[in-house]
Amino acid sequence: MSDYRSVTVTKGKGGWGGPLTITPTAERPLIYSVTGGGIHPVAARIAELTGGEPFDGFKSSAPFDKIAVAVIDCGGTARIGVYPMKKVLTIDVHATSPAGPLAGFITDKLFVSGVKPEDVTEA
Amino acid sequence: MTSSRSAASLPSGSGAAGDQLRYATEVVAVGDLVPQFLEQGVLVLFGEQAPEELHEFSVLHRPGSALSGPEPGDVLVIGTTELPVLAVGDVVAENLLQLGHLDIKADGRDEAAMPGDLCVPQVALPRVAPGDQIRILRGRAARAAREGDRA
Repeated sequence: MSDYRSVTVTKGKGGWGGPLTITPTAERPLIYSVTGGGIHPVAARIAELTGGEPFDGFKSSAPFDKIAVAVIDCGGTARIGVYPMKKVLTIDVHATSPAGPLAGFITDKLFVSGVKPEDVTEA
Repeated sequence: MTSSRSAASLPSGSGAAGDQLRYATEVVAVGDLVPQFLEQGVLVLFGEQAPEELHEFSVLHRPGSALSGPEPGDVLVIGTTELPVLAVGDVVAENLLQLGHLDIKADGRDEAAMPGDLCVPQVALPRVAPGDQIRILRGRAARAAREGDRA
């Protein structure tokens, strides 16, 4: 089977939460990008370093239990809480803090923000 | 309805219409949790191609014109309700034009609390239904158009 590797994702400037360790598995291989303009560079870097499979959430849909990590470009209200609510590790490329109607689901074990490609390092 | 007539009769990018209209879209579905979000003064829009997990709290819509992002002083028209745009966060334009995504906050702020917020006065946001039109009009042009509508 394919051997996946781990990365550590730390919060960027003005960001919140984390650090998160991302390790795709055969059961959860997807690096799920729910961002404007296709696969975000942060998602692309995680996929490249871990061997996970980049996936554009706006092109097709995937079950939550296949997602290793969700990368979002959320402005602080909606997507920020959706994936943590489903216990999916979540990276916001914008420097947001827990807020919005779903804020109660967002913890530093599940969520990190303000992340740029250089904040993704091999674990 | 005035709003749909205006949207339909104004071709984008030409003459007065192009000067006035930033964005025009039609609601296609309203998620089950939208009323709960409305109670908190929040209305979330996504283009209809948004992944399924975003549907339950979103108003899904099909844009007819996506010309430019909103700015303070513009007018947001939801069905027949007109709301002045008070503040616009840094990522609002990108979210709206790329994903059809907009977080409308009835918080009365003149500076957006979150980068995705579009702030309007602290009023009860209107309920929306499939078929409703949502438009964003430029400030000065919007005022002139409303006077034109009344004439």
